[in-house]
Amino acid sequence: MKLKYIGMLLLAIVLAFLYFYINPSEVDFLPKCPLYLTTGVYCPGCGSQRATHQLLNFNIFGVFQQNALFVLGLLVIGYHFLISVFNYFFKKNKYNYIYHPKTPIALLIIIIVFWILRNIPHYPFNLLAPK
Amino acid sequence: MEQRQPKNYLVESILVTIFCCLPFGIAGIVFASQVNSKYASGDYEGAKKASEDAKKWMNWGLIAGIIVVVLYLVFLFALGGLAMLGGDF
Repeated sequence: MKLKYIGMLLLAIVLAFLYFYINPSEVDFLPKCPLYLTTGVYCPGCGSQRATHQLLNFNIFGVFQQNALFVLGLLVIGYHFLISVFNYFFKKNKYNYIYHPKTPIALLIIIIVFWILRNIPHYPFNLLAPK
Repeated sequence: MEQRQPKNYLVESILVTIFCCLPFGIAGIVFASQVNSKYASGDYEGAKKASEDAKKWMNWGLIAGIIVVVLYLVFLFALGGLAMLGGDF
């Protein structure tokens, strides 16, 4: 079990270095989204590799440009992490909204609306499509 | 007696949705919502079941992601090899 976490940490470090130095917009050997490749439709995750590169280079505007959902995902994950760490270290039982019955539904609706909007090829919706 | 809420894998499902495999991630989010709503209405058994389903979908998402990356790399090296042999394609 411990080995698994060490492996994941090493993988994360390697990937972080990779995406820090390589801009996925400029090279063509990184995997492309299978949905976009086969149908030409953007999925809600399209642009995540480019967004990761922008994030690692501290360009928050660039992250928004590539995939606005990525920012929301980061906020949700960061929130969950902070609450979990807080509860663990201070032995508190602060309520985590990840476990609220409405949270997953709200996120699902946001993801699907985002998915539809970013595929409309007109201003201002095309701002949501990856560059 | 109040039982602890089972893990709902919402965060993991969001990661799967954003980074690779939309259908699996969405299924995971649907089951995550079932974990939360069933637990809230006192159905602990149902919540546990939904938690296991959510975990299953998250794992499928991970596996699908790894398969896509591996297939892509194989394809890339195959193409690279062909190009080095001077093949027209």
